[in-house]
Amino acid sequence: MLEILIQGLLLSGLYALIAVGFTLIFSVGRVLNLAYGSYIMIAGYVYFYFSQLLGLPPIVGLLLAGILGSCMGLLKYNLIVKPLKGDHIPVEISTLILAVILQSAIILYFGNSAKILLPIFQGVIHIGNATVTYNVLAATLVSWLILIVLFVFIRKTHVGRAMQAVSMDSKGASISGVNINKINMFTWGISGFLGAIAGVFFASYTQLSPSMWVAPLIIAIAIVIVGGIGSIIGTLVVAHIIGFMEIISVALISPQLRGVFTMLLVIIVLIIRPKGLFGREEL
Amino acid sequence: MGLGLKWYHFALWIGFIIFMLLMPEMVSKGTLRTIIFANFLAIFAISWDILSGRTGYISFGHPFLIGIGAYTTAILTKRFDVGVEYAIPLAIAMTMIGGTIMFLPALRIKGSYFALVSLAFMELMYQLVQVIRPDLTGGTRGMSGLVTLTRGAVNGYYLSFTIMIIVALSMWLLMRTRLGTALSAIALNEESVKGSGLSPTKLKLFAFMTSAFVAGLGGAFYVHYLGSIAPRALFDINFVFTIIVATLIGGASTIVGPMFGAFFLTFLLEYLRPYLPGAERYLIYGVIALLLYMYQPKGLYQIMINQFNRFKKDEDDG
Repeated sequence: MLEILIQGLLLSGLYALIAVGFTLIFSVGRVLNLAYGSYIMIAGYVYFYFSQLLGLPPIVGLLLAGILGSCMGLLKYNLIVKPLKGDHIPVEISTLILAVILQSAIILYFGNSAKILLPIFQGVIHIGNATVTYNVLAATLVSWLILIVLFVFIRKTHVGRAMQAVSMDSKGASISGVNINKINMFTWGISGFLGAIAGVFFASYTQLSPSMWVAPLIIAIAIVIVGGIGSIIGTLVVAHIIGFMEIISVALISPQLRGVFTMLLVIIVLIIRPKGLFGREEL
Repeated sequence: MGLGLKWYHFALWIGFIIFMLLMPEMVSKGTLRTIIFANFLAIFAISWDILSGRTGYISFGHPFLIGIGAYTTAILTKRFDVGVEYAIPLAIAMTMIGGTIMFLPALRIKGSYFALVSLAFMELMYQLVQVIRPDLTGGTRGMSGLVTLTRGAVNGYYLSFTIMIIVALSMWLLMRTRLGTALSAIALNEESVKGSGLSPTKLKLFAFMTSAFVAGLGGAFYVHYLGSIAPRALFDINFVFTIIVATLIGGASTIVGPMFGAFFLTFLLEYLRPYLPGAERYLIYGVIALLLYMYQPKGLYQIMINQFNRFKKDEDDG
């Protein structure tokens, strides 16, 4: 029981970290960035390159991955989202194409086979009869830290409030003197950074492979859909619902049913309550 | 009938069919196998086009439908020794039921939300196929040694081309009717469709059923061409990507466009094979797709029409 609780908390923390960058874009920019999984994949490989092949300290690798993710986000916004004027379906389709392009770019450079990423933080800790690696623990703590900072940032600072305003009504925000373009750029940058940080942790949780972007993307989509637009709290809560659901189904029912309940939850929530459990009135 | 058919429509179709029928005389067996895949991809792309290209309900989970068709006939023929002549129609019927299930969320949600539900459908199917009754579905490894309908590349080519051209022609004609126009109106504004005294629900149901019919047909014949089925290859986001890109590059909502898009992409991949042997080919393929999509979201079809019109205008002026 304790083991389920601990494993659930840890997995949920990782999931929340994965989903939060995606939520930001979906809330502020109103578009689904299907290439979000690529931040995760590329960050994993960048970290692998710098800290494992070049031997730089892990924290430098982590930061470099984050900065690169941030740059990717800005490029994506300027080259794809802006020319398409934020039209939902075209942006989704072109980001999907982009995700496949990036996947093949990784295959071209690093090869198709899976790689093991050394843990960012070595060592394990025993809690009760559960064994927890420092690595996963760090992911959870970083995730909580990022969520809290982000929450305060959005509520308390000027830029954060502007982001909220753009998310609620971009025309209204623009009339009130918010520079929508700047806010969007900022959001894409932050989202890329968060995605990349999540990617490094996710990669060390599973392993590096060129197709590793699909699973976290689907998790992020599920969390955002069920949580609802524009809700960081929703992201946090739903990450825990999904994390615990997976751990419980693995422990008590069957490991193979891991993803089934998540997908069922997504479908049911979308049909019964399309705005999500915590989202604003919309659609 | 008011289909607005012109003489050059007949000429182009007949020319295309004759050209394709002569194909086995002109190219090697290897190329022919490539064209077989292009034919199947064209069927899937047309199926996607009927639903998503027309009505704007973007499906990111089309393999859900294709998979139902493929798995139904595979299970029936392999596990219950049902003849192919019964298994394939049953598979198509099952796929249409699947299409109806996929239609239910479309009653309430649209746009990005629908696209995501369809993706969830595909993932759900992928997970379930491996877990529920692995003795029937073959679990993670899938099934092999299924009945194949044809022997050799030439026969396979004729069969796949016949199915593809029948599907393409009938759908092309269907979409030229008023029904087709009404379906594209759904993409623009459902309220206005309602205001015109038509039922968007019925039209959408029709689009889903037709798309499912074509997907099931394609999926069933595809599995009996390959003789094997594996969940990882089928319910794969790369497969969705290929179908969508074929449709968009060719020109969504035109039926002819997806067909040519499928040929264009399959040949592009084949052409790149000597230079980039593995999955890296998707890099160039994807870049071309992305640039083309950003430049002209309506695809090659529209680019060709524009060129043709410009040419015609020059001629009129001169």
